[in-house]
Amino acid sequence: MTHTGITVNDLLIGYGTPLHAAFTFSVLPGTVMAIVGPSGCGKSTLLSTLAGVTPALDGQITLDERDITTLPTHERRIAMVFQEPLLFPHLNVRDNVAYGQRRMGRSRVQARQEADRLLAWVGLEGLGERAVTELSGGQAQRVSLARALAAEPDALLLDEPFSALDAPLRSRLAHDVLAIVAKAHIPAIHVTHDPDEAATMAHGNPGGSILSM
Amino acid sequence: MPAAFLVVFLGVPLASLAAQIVSPDTISYFTDPLPWRVAGLATGQALLSTALALLLGLPMANILTRYRFPGRRWALALATVPFVLPTVVVALAFRALLGASLGSGLAIVVLAHAYLNLAVVVRIVGARWATIDPRFETAARTLRADRLTAFRTVTLPALAPAIASAAAIVFVFSFTSLGIVLLLGDANTRTLESLVLRQTSVLLDFQGAAISAAIQAAVVGSVLLWAARQRSAGGTLRGDHLIRPDGFARIVVGIVVALTLLIVLAPVAALVWSSLRSSSGWTLSWWSSVFGAQTIDAGSTRIGSPLAAMGRSLAYALLTGIVAAIVGGMAAVSVLSGRIGRAFALATALPLGISAATLGLGTLLAYGREPLDLRATGMLVPMAHALIAVPLVVAVATPTLRAADSRLVMVAASLGARPSRAWWTGYGPTLRTVMVAAGGLACAVSLGEFGAASFLARADGLTVPLVIARLLGRPGEASFGVAAVMAVILVVMTTALVAAVDKGGRRS
Repeated sequence: MTHTGITVNDLLIGYGTPLHAAFTFSVLPGTVMAIVGPSGCGKSTLLSTLAGVTPALDGQITLDERDITTLPTHERRIAMVFQEPLLFPHLNVRDNVAYGQRRMGRSRVQARQEADRLLAWVGLEGLGERAVTELSGGQAQRVSLARALAAEPDALLLDEPFSALDAPLRSRLAHDVLAIVAKAHIPAIHVTHDPDEAATMAHGNPGGSILSM
Repeated sequence: MPAAFLVVFLGVPLASLAAQIVSPDTISYFTDPLPWRVAGLATGQALLSTALALLLGLPMANILTRYRFPGRRWALALATVPFVLPTVVVALAFRALLGASLGSGLAIVVLAHAYLNLAVVVRIVGARWATIDPRFETAARTLRADRLTAFRTVTLPALAPAIASAAAIVFVFSFTSLGIVLLLGDANTRTLESLVLRQTSVLLDFQGAAISAAIQAAVVGSVLLWAARQRSAGGTLRGDHLIRPDGFARIVVGIVVALTLLIVLAPVAALVWSSLRSSSGWTLSWWSSVFGAQTIDAGSTRIGSPLAAMGRSLAYALLTGIVAAIVGGMAAVSVLSGRIGRAFALATALPLGISAATLGLGTLLAYGREPLDLRATGMLVPMAHALIAVPLVVAVATPTLRAADSRLVMVAASLGARPSRAWWTGYGPTLRTVMVAAGGLACAVSLGEFGAASFLARADGLTVPLVIARLLGRPGEASFGVAAVMAVILVVMTTALVAAVDKGGRRS
């Protein structure tokens, strides 16, 4: 399969009636498109439409030349990181990260090995056995990032993932995300209401862009 | 005073029951296969009832507590209706609705139990479900889980403890059921509760009855203990938004709400229908015979005047309401004052785990025989009812009192009020509202109570549920019609009381 990233053509989003003019854009693998705009302008709806949680009103979404416009969420291979980490409270850190691997049919042992590898990658080596309630905000958001990557997605959506964190932690995580996107060679769309953060994310890797809403 | 009440009306009867069990022939009684066989039958029946209540109640809990749609609060209130209906009324309604097609036996008993306990599932599981942020499932779906897998691996583990509690309560109610089993069951749907009644009132085998009650208490205790051990894994998931249904979800919401209305209202409608129908068409004669004040005795069954039974039931309910409000209110106040208070409040919850028959039998053994026979005073039924209602009163009163602003007490004290006066300023108004509400709830419990009353009421002192049960035991459409009229009146009285309590509670 050729890796061409996300291409969106004339996409209309909303619940019944369009929230915004039609979107047309593309995001190449290894780059980040930052979407910036005030709250309530439809940024999150755009992400949830791309993820297949909210149906598109019109238009087309392709990912690596697959038309995914009407595919159910779990078949799109698009992982999402939310404002809150949303870690599953009944699973420990390792099993949270292993969740996507298990859904892909990997054995428990394989899934856990991959989870440990990814935890090390986001700088949380050795925390696999922890309960998710024992993590700090920054750690929890890293686990959430590792969990998204473990599902081996073809694209990554980030819905204000740093907004609950303090400034130093934000810039560290921003660098981590940029490095991960480049290394995994997948396109990422990063939603924020902070123009500085949008600039950091869009220009951190070559080829990024900013979409103002 | 609440402690004295508990000792006299719970401690003494249970001790009398225990005294019956301990005797030289105890072993031979325990080896009697009858109670064990009945326990086995009741277990099977209760498992089926629980499964059906979960099957119907879980989709209702999901839709009614998580989705936004017009009339949601009404639908939720409606789903609670079956739980407040007296068991004899439900038995009569199911006889009217399905008696012709299902007859008596396991199927109709299981259906009636599932109906009665729908609210347990909807309320307990729904309360938990409403706090689960739907985005957890969305997160799971972006991690390659389909809808069903996301539900199974993320939502279900969070719901499991609530489902276990609800299932345990439905199981216990079905396992210890009396009214439904007596009126709708056959030889294969007996419960230990009905066996106890038979051993007491027909066979006069008090020791056998005490042992049956002990076996039942052991099963109930184990199930409740198991439920208490089911803990929520990990932390809580939080969400405070109702889901706006779209597309397919809107259709599902519509279907589930329509089914809820149908399931809840069909038996009630059948009841009203039966009170107005005879074989020759529409009639008001059942209603006029109830209000005509004549007795409806026929043959060997002595039933007496329905109007007198209604007066008696109302008097008992009023007495129960007053006693339960005072005792329960005092217990709730003691909860506010430290550890001993809490232990005491736990003790007042004890009658909740003891079945009506056990309570009735114990009271009968302690106060219904020589040397102390209080049955003629008519006090035994309201006392047993108060005992049944007190845990409910405490459960209703405690959280509201806890929520009262304790700073008011300090403010009053700082303004020079004596401690008792300061306390009353802080908690008094809430306590008053809560006690009125709790008293109303206790009234409703007493109006519909069947189990304990069937042990304790004398033949010339029947309550409305007992009259309904006796009428159902007689052939002829007049008996059924009059029973339906009385059931309709009971439904109106209990739902009105519960609605008033609910409204008062919300205002406070």
